[in-house]
Amino acid sequence: MIKIKLTSIMVEDQAKALAFYTDVLGFAKKHDLPVGEYRWITVTAPGRDDLELTLEPNANPAGKAFQQAMFAQGIPLAAFEVDDIVAEHARLAKHGVAFTQKPTQMGPVTIAVFADTCGNLIQLYQPMSIGTDEE
Amino acid sequence: MLIDRASLRRLCRARELLEHDGQPVAEVARLVGISPFHFIRQFDALFGETPHQYRTRARLDRAKQLLARGHSVTDTCMEVGFSSVGSFSQLFARHVGAPPSAYRRRGVQVATSLVHPGCFSLMCWLPAAAFRNSREAHVARVGQGRPA
Repeated sequence: MIKIKLTSIMVEDQAKALAFYTDVLGFAKKHDLPVGEYRWITVTAPGRDDLELTLEPNANPAGKAFQQAMFAQGIPLAAFEVDDIVAEHARLAKHGVAFTQKPTQMGPVTIAVFADTCGNLIQLYQPMSIGTDEE
Repeated sequence: MLIDRASLRRLCRARELLEHDGQPVAEVARLVGISPFHFIRQFDALFGETPHQYRTRARLDRAKQLLARGHSVTDTCMEVGFSSVGSFSQLFARHVGAPPSAYRRRGVQVATSLVHPGCFSLMCWLPAAAFRNSREAHVARVGQGRPA
């Protein structure tokens, strides 16, 4: 069986990225191991150990070019689900986070887009609640 | 802070100018049509550092690449846009933690493997405990698990 347990996002500066993804976004640090000049850093959503996000150095010029081009086109490179997008938007805005899109309903989801200060645009989305959806 | 599509494009253009050209920050702001005050504030919110910090880091990153490929300190200094080798060396040492000459010696040795890592290629340097599966396997073997 092939499983999805690890995914990654390229970041400009790993130390700054760890601070933003934990202090501002609220993820929990899972691993932080030195690897040569770089670090192996993963974070998880609080209380959820099943999927790790690696904060990958964007030192490869090809990766950086891709990241910058997507950013300039306003295209997010990751999407995180939230329960209350209006509250998260307000909370992040208070931290000084720059949004390129305020919470906007689009079909079955409400989405917002912000800059992660590490070279990426990130989409937040809140699915429309359907009937007795409980978790 | 809300940054509309037009401002996003301008700020990205400014980032390119900062990375590849040598104009003063105020001139870059003028070229992209944003007042210097808003330019610095919006740039910082979007990219996590001021235009000046961004340019310095971009130059030093480029310097690291050139040094690791074996370019001389003087050539690197001129190539990335600094005019004085002395101030370049000081700035480099402060940000990178080693003077350019030392970085160059060390860089040439490891350049082939680690200069441009892909993140998943870093895995082979990790201890086994960094992997969830290895812990699961251990738990399955030992029969006593402690959730992280």
